[in-house]
Amino acid sequence: MSLRFQRLLLILLTLVIILSAVLLILYNTRENVSYFYTPSEIDKSDIIINKIIRIGGFVENNSFNKISSSSFKFKITDEKASILVTFKGILPDLFREGQGAVIEGAFVDKNIFNATNVFAKHDENYMPASIKEDLKDTGYWNKKYK
Amino acid sequence: MSSLVGFLSLVFAIGINFYLFLSRYIFKFQKQKFNLFIRFSSLLTLLSFFSLMYAYVVSDFSNYNVFQNSHSNKPLIYKISGTWGNHEGSMLLWLCILSIFSFFFSFTKNIEDNFQKLTLIIQAFLHILFGLFIVFTSNPFLVNSILVNEGLGLNPILQDPGLAVHPPILYAGYVGYSIVFSIAIAGLFQNTDDEWIYVAKKWSLISWTFLTGGIALGSYWAYYELGWGGWWFWDPVENISLMPWIAGLALVHSLMMVRGEQAIKKWIVFLSILCFSLSVFGTFLVRSGILTSVHSFAADASRGIFILLIFFIVTGFGFLVFLLKEPKKSNALNLLFINKVSALVINNILMIIATLTILLGTIYPIIIEVLYNKRISVGGPYFNSTVIPIMIPGFLLMSIAPILSWQTNKINNSKKYVLAFFILSVLVILQSFFLDFNTWGFVGLLLGFWIILASIIAIFSSYKIKINIKFFKIINPHVAHIGVGIAIIGITCSSVFQNELDFNLNEGDKFNVNGKTVLFEKIETTNEINFQSLRGKFLFDIEKNQSKEIEAGKNYYPVSKMITSEAGILHQWNKDIYFILGDQKNNEWFVKVLINPFVSFIWLGVIIMIYSGLIAVSRR
Repeated sequence: MSLRFQRLLLILLTLVIILSAVLLILYNTRENVSYFYTPSEIDKSDIIINKIIRIGGFVENNSFNKISSSSFKFKITDEKASILVTFKGILPDLFREGQGAVIEGAFVDKNIFNATNVFAKHDENYMPASIKEDLKDTGYWNKKYK
Repeated sequence: MSSLVGFLSLVFAIGINFYLFLSRYIFKFQKQKFNLFIRFSSLLTLLSFFSLMYAYVVSDFSNYNVFQNSHSNKPLIYKISGTWGNHEGSMLLWLCILSIFSFFFSFTKNIEDNFQKLTLIIQAFLHILFGLFIVFTSNPFLVNSILVNEGLGLNPILQDPGLAVHPPILYAGYVGYSIVFSIAIAGLFQNTDDEWIYVAKKWSLISWTFLTGGIALGSYWAYYELGWGGWWFWDPVENISLMPWIAGLALVHSLMMVRGEQAIKKWIVFLSILCFSLSVFGTFLVRSGILTSVHSFAADASRGIFILLIFFIVTGFGFLVFLLKEPKKSNALNLLFINKVSALVINNILMIIATLTILLGTIYPIIIEVLYNKRISVGGPYFNSTVIPIMIPGFLLMSIAPILSWQTNKINNSKKYVLAFFILSVLVILQSFFLDFNTWGFVGLLLGFWIILASIIAIFSSYKIKINIKFFKIINPHVAHIGVGIAIIGITCSSVFQNELDFNLNEGDKFNVNGKTVLFEKIETTNEINFQSLRGKFLFDIEKNQSKEIEAGKNYYPVSKMITSEAGILHQWNKDIYFILGDQKNNEWFVKVLINPFVSFIWLGVIIMIYSGLIAVSRR
């Protein structure tokens, strides 16, 4: 093989690598991206059964129901709409009513969402309730704290 | 009081750096005096950092930052590490490490004075940028305007020994690239000979080794801390650390290989700028809260904009200099179809594509949200099915690259390699035939074992075996690659062949895990210093006399009214048995048991990589 030919081969190889990377990326952005909705954005007539999506919102107060030690029912709400969710497994430590959560899974029928993953938000700016009151009283309250 | 000392020394240090920065244009300095000033500003920054730490240790709640993130009944280790367990403190740590790097760089011998000076001036410039960022948007020395005698406490999730080591080491990796950046820019400006390349090699190896250690520690922390998704989750925060790591790996390889070629020199400068840009970009993404992440940290738009500004200044300046100036003197690139140089070129192309793929997947959600106002999330499957296939040719190349020749196409002993590869393939095929077959498992195992085997053949057939330091230095590249091979085996086995078992148990129940009987002994609650603990106690393998006890449970932190889960892990050399205590109903507890084969190989592989990083740094 001449030197020139070898170099040409190398450049071609590089192009092939780049091309296949681009194709991989394009294919996977279509297949492996899940859309994120809030409960009110979900249109009941548009639901695709078994398509994996994420829903973010708050765990509705008084909606949490422990069916057994490992299966749970609760509602995710954004105060305009709410969605009934079932989940089997272990809930995250920060999961509780009134707190933010993101669930990943799919609708099993028009009304029930089966979550495969539940994420609860954690943040360094949390605040114990008693001190929160103190701060509010003294007017030293930063809107950042929830 | 300590806050005042801290703030003043912080500002004073920035002032000195400003003075040094101007010294390039206005005041001329002697080298000695210049270096003394640099060291003095480093010590001031350290003083500032230790003042903050002191405020944390003595629980000085007149400091607003301490009040927000500390509590007097915390154990001492979390008071100390709590210093960087929040945004402001962690940025001060960042600055502190930056100045420590300048400090050590000022002691470098055998380099030209003007070159060293210019590098340190660029460091001073970076110090000013990040220092002003701290003073104006994230000052950790603000005074608390209300009188309190108790703080709000540190987020319980962060109350873990991981917090003490993971952030400082990771930051040492990120910030270490600042000095590589400065060296590259100074090298362009001064247009010295190839001197700067040898200096850059040492510092980029140091940064890369720290970054490897930092990522591994974070990964290990995530692994035993529940709910963070195992040792790797393709979470944005994790991706951000992986990008400079891969780019840094490309940089280290290029630096090892460069023999005066113009094209590679240019490429090295490009990579040096890229590594630091990615580090700053990562800081911006994490700190601005633009990305939704499970490790979501506090978000504040003003900080984000400031860091974005710094990012544009650093990157813009860096790449502008890169475009305008060129390294002088050149040898042409000696590319053949398969020699060392072309292997290096392919390796670098693959690494950069991998970095870009990760970058794209990480910021894709932001792009889509801006363009279409739709929110999406790009998760593990995307990265697994793009990054891994892109890396596979690189892994294949890695097994033979160190023994390729510089000048010719020939590979010595090529028959041995072909034979070894053939035998290995048969073995792996047999293994996957008798155990459960999985495509990824097959590819991963074959690659991992092949890299190890090829490296061992290379060591034994190319060098005389001697047990002395020089020998270990010569075989170092092979050792590093063996580390990668071991890590690949660990990663493949633990992710592909993981086994998950669910149980509903009452106290006293026996159950079966992997052929061994496990007893769910009891649930125990105790009071610790600043939390209450609830532990399920398990006895593993009760038929044997030496059964192992495993504890899994939860901690309740009354100060912040939060619960954290603590997994119980039984480490064995070939598998980890991972116990998670779930919820209970009517005294029946949910217990999840994960069997993760060969996880220990991941950590072993990483330790080997860190070891060879250290050996390479020590090399002259």
